[in-house]
Amino acid sequence: MPCNDISRRTVIKQIAVGATGTLLLSLFPRLSFGNGESSGKTKNAAGKRPLYAYAVDTSRCIGCCACMRGCRAENDVPKDRYRTWVERYRVLSNGEVQVDVAANDQFVFQDPPPADITKAFFVPKLCNHCEKSVCSQVCPIGASYETPEGVVLVDTKRCVGCGYCVQACPYGCRFIHPETHMASKCTLCYHRITRGLLPACVQSCPKGARMFGDLHDPLSHLSIFMKQRRYRVLKPEMGTKPKCYYVDLDIEVI
Amino acid sequence: MNIRPDYRHAYPVLAMLIALVTVGLTVRYLLVPETFGEYGYYRAAAMDDEKAIQPRHVGRAACLECHDDIAAIHAKDVHSSVECETCHGIGDKHVKDSSSPMSPADTREDCLVCHRQMDSRPGSFPQVDLEKHYKFVGVKDPSIACVKCHSGHEPLYLSKDLHSARLHPLIQQCNSCHIGRTDETLKKPDMHPKIFQCDYCHADLAKSFAKGSHAKVSCTACHLFIKDNAFSGRIVRNTNPKFCLLCHQKSAFKETAGKDNAAPPVIDWPAHITDVSADTPDPKRPCVECHQDQIHALYTKEAHHAM
Repeated sequence: MPCNDISRRTVIKQIAVGATGTLLLSLFPRLSFGNGESSGKTKNAAGKRPLYAYAVDTSRCIGCCACMRGCRAENDVPKDRYRTWVERYRVLSNGEVQVDVAANDQFVFQDPPPADITKAFFVPKLCNHCEKSVCSQVCPIGASYETPEGVVLVDTKRCVGCGYCVQACPYGCRFIHPETHMASKCTLCYHRITRGLLPACVQSCPKGARMFGDLHDPLSHLSIFMKQRRYRVLKPEMGTKPKCYYVDLDIEVI
Repeated sequence: MNIRPDYRHAYPVLAMLIALVTVGLTVRYLLVPETFGEYGYYRAAAMDDEKAIQPRHVGRAACLECHDDIAAIHAKDVHSSVECETCHGIGDKHVKDSSSPMSPADTREDCLVCHRQMDSRPGSFPQVDLEKHYKFVGVKDPSIACVKCHSGHEPLYLSKDLHSARLHPLIQQCNSCHIGRTDETLKKPDMHPKIFQCDYCHADLAKSFAKGSHAKVSCTACHLFIKDNAFSGRIVRNTNPKFCLLCHQKSAFKETAGKDNAAPPVIDWPAHITDVSADTPDPKRPCVECHQDQIHALYTKEAHHAM
């Protein structure tokens, strides 16, 4: 049956109008965008949304593992899993590098076999809260995410425990919780920092080797520290843009 | 002839489309949680779940409300950078109910967690080789807890607040020597004063010290050097009698110095102070007031500048 009264011109016109309308609507910001509750709306002293970051002065670390004890107590980290840990590096005179972790209940480094050591040091590690976090990108259901303050978190009501993020993290900072069977990781003590407290590991550190602060506040402890010191990040070639900055990091570690 | 277009054939398709969209939207509504997408591809309310967790470390300020006496002692000594909860465990239960116990942190392992001798610890950090330490102070019972001598709150019994201690002038004031100096020595690093080698500048004191009874003690054991940062540090001269007593207090677990052992001589405190100054026994009187000659010659500005 011919439809003579609808010309080709009309059809093309209508399609064009429809497409432009859809395009405009999709460009229009969602009404609810950025309109949530307090989350992500937090403001710092400078009146900006904070950007939380972390710094480690490895030359100050004494390897007491108070951070690991503090983290476990604060966050109920299960046995044999770690949200933060301290690595001990021992460079032998023959060039060999030995790395070990105080992976026991007491968090005490075992006496290593005697060796001819050139140098030895500790490196505390934790989630790097990357700006381009791989773990969040691979999550198929949006259960792993970066908050507007730059903290990488796991949604414990959505995670199905597929483990993609555990595989994806180049720093080995995630694990599957043996009881909840969900991905678990360092939250930068989100429940503490949003109350204005320090993360448990930073507070526990007796030597001030761990530092936490807001990069958007030019007067924060961390901003000042980073202006004065030279730092680098772990595995920069991964392109993850980590926000955990290391001072006095040795070539063996990177 | 005007034929009205007949759309009847399109009705089932339209109905199916509407049904599909309705089902699709319903499924989406059921599957996509509330607040999903507010900030990004995640549930914004998840942040509130995370925030709702109660902090368990209460922090120094909470401890201070009741234990301000201990906090005052703790703040002036070398452990002032250590939070209460680092040694005593988390205090969330204790602040709600003071009968809930905290860890006393009085075992040897509690101290050795930080102070055990380890090749990977920074050299400037005080580390204890138990065998050597016990031999040095003459401890015969190797199972003794560190807190029998050292208080965890003020391990060195500093006579002065650590933070009010003076900066070592050489480390602080490079310019006092370097400005206006044009001679050749300026360009020879070998000729730079060895600022971390005490006897390089204090040769006269070091000489008399080497003859005295404390010759095997390092200068910085009593003249504590606290590094503030890479470029400056503070010297704390410790004259608190309690500090001297760390080595010289008579205890059941210590050797008494004899002819054949090198243990430091011990005295009975506070009996000693009543013995020597019966009329005004002041337990805070610095030991060096009487015993200076056994340590080293007194520091005088004249001798120092004549050097």
